[in-house]
Amino acid sequence: MKKLAFAVAAAFAAGTMLASGGALAQEKTIKIAGFGAKSGVVRSFGINSEAALLAAADVINKGGGVKLGDGSKAKFAVEFYDDRCNAEEGISVIRRIAGTDAVVAIGPTCSNVAEPLFGILQKKVGDASDSGLQFPVFTDVAIKVGLAKISEWAFRNVPNEMTMYNSLFYWLKTKHPDVKTIYGGVEEDFAHSRATWYVVMKTRSEASGFSVQGESKWLLNDTNFATQVREMKKANADVIAISAHPFSTCGVLKEMQRQGVKPKVLVGLTSSSSLETLQGCAKQAEGIIIPTSFAPINKEAKNAADTTAKFKGAADLHSMAAWENMFILKQVIEAAKISGKPADVQADRRKIRDSLAKLKTTDGLLGVTKRDAEGEADKPYLFVHAKKGEWKVLHNPL
Amino acid sequence: MDFYFGLAQIIGVHTLLGLSAYIVLLTGQVSLAQAGFFAIGAYAAGMLTVLAGWHIVPALGAGMVIGSATACAVGFPALRVKGLMLVIATLAFGEGIRLFFFNFDYQVAKGGVQLGPLGGEGFRQIRFFPENGWSTLEVMLFIWIFVVLVMLLLWWFDRSRYGAVLRAVGEDELAAQSVGINLTAVKVSAMTVGGAIAGLGGGLYAHYTTHIEHASFNILVATFAIAYPIVGGLASVLGTLFAVIFVQGVLIEGLRFLGDWRNLLFGALIVLAMNLRPRGILDAQAIVWFKRLFGGGKRNA
Amino acid sequence: MLDFLQAVSDGVLFGATYALIGIGFTLVFGVMHKINMSYAAASVGGAYCGLLILHVFAGAPPWAVFLLAFAAGGVIGWLVYLTCFHFIPLANPLATLMSTVGMLLLIDEIVVHTTAGMPQNYPALFDDVMLRFGDFSMRGDLMLVFGVSVLGMIALLLLLYRTGLGLATRAVSQQPVAAQLCGIQLARVNALTFVITGLLGGLAGAMIGASVGALSPLLTTPLTVKGLIVTVVGGLGSIPGAIVAGLLVGGFENVFQLYRGVTERDLYVMLLLFVFLVFRPGGLFAVKGAGR
Repeated sequence: MKKLAFAVAAAFAAGTMLASGGALAQEKTIKIAGFGAKSGVVRSFGINSEAALLAAADVINKGGGVKLGDGSKAKFAVEFYDDRCNAEEGISVIRRIAGTDAVVAIGPTCSNVAEPLFGILQKKVGDASDSGLQFPVFTDVAIKVGLAKISEWAFRNVPNEMTMYNSLFYWLKTKHPDVKTIYGGVEEDFAHSRATWYVVMKTRSEASGFSVQGESKWLLNDTNFATQVREMKKANADVIAISAHPFSTCGVLKEMQRQGVKPKVLVGLTSSSSLETLQGCAKQAEGIIIPTSFAPINKEAKNAADTTAKFKGAADLHSMAAWENMFILKQVIEAAKISGKPADVQADRRKIRDSLAKLKTTDGLLGVTKRDAEGEADKPYLFVHAKKGEWKVLHNPL
Repeated sequence: MDFYFGLAQIIGVHTLLGLSAYIVLLTGQVSLAQAGFFAIGAYAAGMLTVLAGWHIVPALGAGMVIGSATACAVGFPALRVKGLMLVIATLAFGEGIRLFFFNFDYQVAKGGVQLGPLGGEGFRQIRFFPENGWSTLEVMLFIWIFVVLVMLLLWWFDRSRYGAVLRAVGEDELAAQSVGINLTAVKVSAMTVGGAIAGLGGGLYAHYTTHIEHASFNILVATFAIAYPIVGGLASVLGTLFAVIFVQGVLIEGLRFLGDWRNLLFGALIVLAMNLRPRGILDAQAIVWFKRLFGGGKRNA
Repeated sequence: MLDFLQAVSDGVLFGATYALIGIGFTLVFGVMHKINMSYAAASVGGAYCGLLILHVFAGAPPWAVFLLAFAAGGVIGWLVYLTCFHFIPLANPLATLMSTVGMLLLIDEIVVHTTAGMPQNYPALFDDVMLRFGDFSMRGDLMLVFGVSVLGMIALLLLLYRTGLGLATRAVSQQPVAAQLCGIQLARVNALTFVITGLLGGLAGAMIGASVGALSPLLTTPLTVKGLIVTVVGGLGSIPGAIVAGLLVGGFENVFQLYRGVTERDLYVMLLLFVFLVFRPGGLFAVKGAGR
């Protein structure tokens, strides 16, 4: 009985080995890892990123796949890992990914994961005294300003808020010459929203000739905005800019409605130009203007959105960055002429990193994206506003 | 392999977090403030290595000292409250520490770059380990030397009079008092030791994540700190270690293949564990069973 | 001066929501001498369940949503009792504490999974009613919430002091063994206590959703913390205490925010709690026998 069981097990093992060996002989795969948050309030981001990655891989594979250094073609295989927006788990995930034969990772979602994660990467390439992880990370979502410069292995394809808000305020001034003053609303305990008001919105609006009257502050999960909105009412500014995420943005907007605060122009935070805000307070968000790096305004963008929808994800500026990343990586991998063999995986990763670093421009869904020496992107953008429960393009500077 | 070393690092630091709550739990006090002392250790050690250029070992030591001093200061007013109120008081204190760091700015310019904690933005670039070429394996061993030392210390406490005194206070304060045990000394000393262990763990945490911010030390972390010893069992330090391995190793990393179900199972398994084994997974009976399994046959006359 | 009065008024009115949550926390503690850490999560969960009716009848009126939330809260309350208190021996307070933490995580995850974490618009009653006296204004909907809290308190007190169930509940909380000797079924009374607090919690969740305007998993943690603080400040087991404490905490919170800003606000709320713990550990309305 034992001998029979052993024989069956051995045959099974041999069979699977042969089968997988056979599969390897027929089809080469290049593994790309995706990672992000599929838990908590940011769960939708992870779901959408994953869908976009799988959709893009599907399109690339159907088109023949990616060309390796020896001229043969390989298919992309995407695996997505959930880091639950937790720093330790994000680090654990990237180490896990580095232990597989994945050649590059796309992620993370949360800026508070990106910062520690980039911190454990090797700071300068080739620095033998730095024992940091040597693995290229190409971020799709985490948007807090100035993170890619933490490591030469970190690259990002996220919108440049400085450029976008600069352009937005300039455009607002030309479109509404009677609009002179601006007042802000800031989510103080979230690094991204806080930085965006003080470093970006405030400075850029002043540069366009607006007079900043001050700002009201609240916390990410606050529920009572009476005091803050009263301050807004008193300031009576022409423009109110809210640098906060959907939940507190909705809370503030509802309080503004209650207290009868109606600015001439309402401006929002980049990452709030998604379904979440409309889900929470479509009526109160009517008319809010947000600069974004995605809208389905051309054939390519529409196609990307539709394909992602097939994989059960929504297309917004975050998930479409993941889509773009896949195509950029195809280009980068072909330029880097990697071997694709598991034994050369570390060399391949280095080649991909170097190839990413060389990029001066990449193709995005809205147009050409510029890249800088720090590994950051300057993406083409447009302005959307909320109209009747949908994001509609307000102005396309492209 | 790096992944497993990294996981072992996480298990090590979380064990320290759990053990800091364990020793306080032995005296019957449920302290949700351990995440606060953890934060103090993290910021203190981080600032010393990054801003003052200290080596990590004295920096960790300083973190321990400040952590234990704060815990000692908390221990005295904590005596005035019992039960649920202590839980809430320590929760409030832990949150208070977190809020302090939320408002804490201390930046120093080094080599043209501003370094140091910056309130809500956090404290980045705590890169002592990678900058000094420590490999993942070396960091893991470094962390575990401390973990083993702390576990040995606590195990030794358990075998000595001090451990018996701690547990006596935990079981029945009135009875303990009536045999002459000084409740104040016992409870405050347990808090102090807990604060030192948490400070140590925090210092290590800051260095292996390289970036800390106030949100890294929130109520969830405080809850995990008491969850590890309670779910693991208070009969022995091994209970806490077991619970950490169970949560971090099995639930978080091992169950990845379950995809989305992993998160749902998390809460459900804790509920199940508490229903099936209310005294912890490794309770006193289980320990005895293990001992018999390994040391069976020996009987003391 | 007007700013101060306005801040107090805004805060106290919003404190009505804290009061509602505090009542549930304090009642469970008063009867079973245990904390139910999952109470705020269960209340928010009940509120989410209320939204389900909008999937069936798209134009359902707000009160239908609130009613469903109320009922769902009761069901969830019973489930929490079953999973955290029924099987675990009462002599293990740590086990029940951890078990309720597990339920909190589970309820949160279920909410996140079904809504993908996105904020959900919540129907409101009298959302646009603002009582104005010149520059001074007060939210009408929060006054409704306050009214509901008071009604809830009256209903609970009537239940506790005028019904057989209430008598049994009080007996069980004071002397569980003697109560059993008198033929009171401990399990049944405890289960019913959870159902009742659950019903109240579902309503509280709905009221909070209506006042905030949207539901999000982000609500759980601050409500849990505020609920616990309110319970302690009001006096463990005292229902009128919970209401007064809720209003007090809401008022102080807003005043701290006015003078010290939002980043230091919660620090001062914690200090307020410490002041109470040091000078009046029994809370505002100290209940004899509770606080063990």
